Amino acid sequence: MIEAQNLTRRYGDFTAVEQISLTVDEGEIVGMLGPNGAGKTTTIRMITGFLPPTEGRVTVGGKDLFADPVGVRGDIGYLPENVALYPEMRVSEYLTYRAMLEGMTRAQAKKRLPETITSCFLEEVEGQIIGTLSKGYRQRVGLAAAILHEPQALVLDEPTVGLDPKQIIAIRELIRELGRERTLLLSTHILPEVELLCDRVIIIDRGRIVAEGTPESLKQSWIGATLLRVELKQGPEGVVEILERIQGVSAVKPVDGGHSRFSLECEHSSDPREAVFRAAVDNGWTLLELAEERASLEDIFVRLTTREVAEPRAPETVEPTDEEVTS
Amino acid sequence: MKGILAIMDREIRAYFFSPLAYIVAAFLLLVNGMVFWLIVSFLNNPQARFGAPLELFFGQTIYFWLVLLFVAPVLTMRLLSEERRSGTIEVLMTAPVNEAQVVIGKYLAALIFYCFLWLPTLAYAGIVAYYSEVDWGPVAAGYLGVFGVGALFLSVGLLASALTRSQLVAAILTFALLIPLFTFGLLENLFNDPSLKQALSYLNLWQHMEEFSKGVVDTRHLVYYLSATVLFIFLSAKALEAKKWR
Repeated sequence: MIEAQNLTRRYGDFTAVEQISLTVDEGEIVGMLGPNGAGKTTTIRMITGFLPPTEGRVTVGGKDLFADPVGVRGDIGYLPENVALYPEMRVSEYLTYRAMLEGMTRAQAKKRLPETITSCFLEEVEGQIIGTLSKGYRQRVGLAAAILHEPQALVLDEPTVGLDPKQIIAIRELIRELGRERTLLLSTHILPEVELLCDRVIIIDRGRIVAEGTPESLKQSWIGATLLRVELKQGPEGVVEILERIQGVSAVKPVDGGHSRFSLECEHSSDPREAVFRAAVDNGWTLLELAEERASLEDIFVRLTTREVAEPRAPETVEPTDEEVTS
Repeated sequence: MKGILAIMDREIRAYFFSPLAYIVAAFLLLVNGMVFWLIVSFLNNPQARFGAPLELFFGQTIYFWLVLLFVAPVLTMRLLSEERRSGTIEVLMTAPVNEAQVVIGKYLAALIFYCFLWLPTLAYAGIVAYYSEVDWGPVAAGYLGVFGVGALFLSVGLLASALTRSQLVAAILTFALLIPLFTFGLLENLFNDPSLKQALSYLNLWQHMEEFSKGVVDTRHLVYYLSATVLFIFLSAKALEAKKWR
């Protein structure tokens, strides 16, 4: 449905986006993930036709964006990153305007309005002047305007920014529902959102795609080795050597420079937990902890996008809480 | 077409929501009312030459031009620059409308609001008609001139607004462009070369309005306004398009 080939955007000497190719199939939800300034918004702007690419081409539903810009724009519903609205208009008035801009008649717009307003939870502010609305409401007005004309493809740039947790859940529900019938491309820097919503993830960093796949496949291919966390009461001499000799363990790293906690890197699809336990029993160690560290998408994301200058990540991983884990 | 209408409709509403529009309307009415009153009291003097008040009203006083040079920048400065400043241009340029439609929709809104501003001056014609006789031909020609010159000035303002994201810069730029546009034709009085004089008189807006107010409708003037207006609207659309590429 949405197809971008080798999109590149340069500003003078600076390359904001380099050779990004992506496809979003019909009925698929694809998430673009990346730290701030990675080129997500630039990529999205090129796909929606706001920014002409320096190189590359975009087709939506078989129509070429360059050859038929107006036709392609009509097929896309777009929520820009900085939801810019006309502050002097009322919510319903603005939505009607947007519907008419998309080619609907006033009567058609009137018919569609109540449904859209309900699904974006805007009933309370329908008659209010946009300038007086909070950020969360504005975000929802922008979203309502994007879906009002029932486009085949939806492009949402950071759709849940500025919403409170309850609204985030409701909007995600709405997005999931929209994604059932429509093609959906969304960008976000909220990791759980991608895991919850997307069929496929594209991770972008410094203007390039660094990884792509389903959340599951990304986990498998990028965290090839499972990590075992081992804590002993007292680190006796020769622990490292003994642990290293265990079948299936490929590397042993002491944690925190101490002698009691170790991180064991395991070979692919091996589970040496039992062997570690046996080793502890045979050598008379007191085993305080033996746990498998589950890789989260966050680990992959951090691993892929951490710049050289950044501090190395502490090996002890805290599982991301459900909401608002940002990069 | 639907796109143009939607943009125009929104823009006209925006005019009526903005206090600026009311200030302009009040200012225009105040100045016009004063000029009309001055003209009438001047002509009431038995020693004054015989004349029709509405003939003097259209374009034969400096006030007419001062007001027009002020109104055009104020009405047009917001049109495109504000869209760019606030970011709403992103919605506009990703909707199924092209640059020309956006520019035309905005321009028509400005033109309609401009006509609306002149509407109350019809009362002057009514007042004159009540107390004496009005030769409606020259009055109609006068309004035609007001429309033509206004259309031209507004298109200049539109272009300035397409070039910058600051309303203030747009207004100043419009003013800076209108001053030569208005005064260029006046240079005709400085030259003796007949062909140069003729060329400049073709551009002399003051002269044009004087003729219109007398009821002389010279289609050459109308062609000039129309072609220049179309040119400036075209340039505005191109300017908007060009902004994307940087």
